[in-house]
Amino acid sequence: MSKVSKLFPVFVFFAMFVHGQESARVIARQGQVSFFSYTSVEHIKAENNQVLGIIDLTSGEIAVSMLMNAFIFEKALMREHFNESYVESDIYPKATFEGQIQGFDSGLEGEQTRIVKGNFSMHGVTKVLEIKTKIERKDQIFLLTGTFEALVQDYQIKIPPLLAGNIAKTISVDFRFECEPYAN
Amino acid sequence: MQIRAVFTFWTLVVMAVPVLGQEGLLDILEQEHKDTVPTYVSATFKTTRITYGHSVETRKKGILEIMLSNRFWNTPALQSQSFGVDKMNARIALEYGISDRLSTGFGGSTWDGLFDGYLKYRLVRQRPKGEGSPFSITIFQNASYFSEGLTLPDVDDSFSNRLSYTSQLLIARKFGPNFSLQLTPTYVRRSVRYGDIDTRNHVALGIGGRYKLSHHVSLVSEYYRVFNPLDNFDTYGPFGLGVNWEIGDVMLQFMLTNAPSMVEDSFITGTKNNFNFKNPNLNFGFNFTYVLHLKRKLKGLKQKD
Repeated sequence: MSKVSKLFPVFVFFAMFVHGQESARVIARQGQVSFFSYTSVEHIKAENNQVLGIIDLTSGEIAVSMLMNAFIFEKALMREHFNESYVESDIYPKATFEGQIQGFDSGLEGEQTRIVKGNFSMHGVTKVLEIKTKIERKDQIFLLTGTFEALVQDYQIKIPPLLAGNIAKTISVDFRFECEPYAN
Repeated sequence: MQIRAVFTFWTLVVMAVPVLGQEGLLDILEQEHKDTVPTYVSATFKTTRITYGHSVETRKKGILEIMLSNRFWNTPALQSQSFGVDKMNARIALEYGISDRLSTGFGGSTWDGLFDGYLKYRLVRQRPKGEGSPFSITIFQNASYFSEGLTLPDVDDSFSNRLSYTSQLLIARKFGPNFSLQLTPTYVRRSVRYGDIDTRNHVALGIGGRYKLSHHVSLVSEYYRVFNPLDNFDTYGPFGLGVNWEIGDVMLQFMLTNAPSMVEDSFITGTKNNFNFKNPNLNFGFNFTYVLHLKRKLKGLKQKD
């Protein structure tokens, strides 16, 4: 066996390594997710400004991860109730989304509206979601914004009958991710 | 042979590389989460009291609690006409969160004429496993004033002799989503209301626990042991067994206890009856707490707990 053929796998190795570096990703470390519940009795609003989101620009894959106990409520006690009695963040600390931006053109400067389809997991339940998302590109920065609605019932979150009037059955969720280039 | 081994080795390396490179996007985020702000274990006990005694919990900044505590019991008289409410003691209190860690409260009790005030500070907060302190520690200091007439002939009835102080170190750990335990080393400096022959300094240890039965209901229990109890009459350690129920802004606590008083120095050192089902030993207790949020703005970026 010649020296070249012995070294061939080394070239393959380096070629793959270099290729791996090429797939460009953008990340949002302070993505914002907020949700609202409007009923005639009470308005509940909560915000999480520590949401992580990452996009693979070549494949259009997207992933989002948030800590449930990082949601901040207008009423401090609501946050305790939310974590302790509803989403059980001791057992299910995170909500995650993993999906694909359909027809994503990462090279397009300016605005594009795309459907993001993927699996959203929360409170141990995974649902397929299709979310209409506005994507704005400004140089290297990608800004993703959108709104969707979630049914409380879908995620096996139980609301005691006594409080049924205080918490809406449908929760509207807003999100905003400002993604910058990701460096390892 | 050697060539073959080299070839196999490289084949394996080449096969391994794409696997390593295929780190999912969620795995990257998992790594990123480690760099974000610290989190603390919340709701070790949901209420500021376990049953009758304080828990490590303090209320957050700007929260005013209106707390109404009652104890009902029967006198041992055979001809009692009422159902468990021959006597009652009510403590009405306002408790306020000065900051997320410091809270204060003032209250008055009807039956034993005690007026009390306290300061409570969260010193150490428990963090999730492997991230920091495995315990929560809260320090507690109260003072109470005995307002009723002293029938004791020989004591110096002055304002300072009517004051009692209780210092507590509340150490608690939430072992899992459902179970929390608290140890409470306590020092009590007692007023002269029970006479002057005893020491006025008492040392006690409390133990309390909470077991979550469902999302909004938990089972709680508590006991205090006094190491140098009063000599001039028999006292027993206060015991409480109860159920806590949280409904939004309202917290309800139901309990059975042998302590008719709701002020620390009094129930720790001066509980005159042991816990059993005879009158007047058994008290039915009911705490009603309404939580008012005086500051209702979203707090912004900084995560606090």
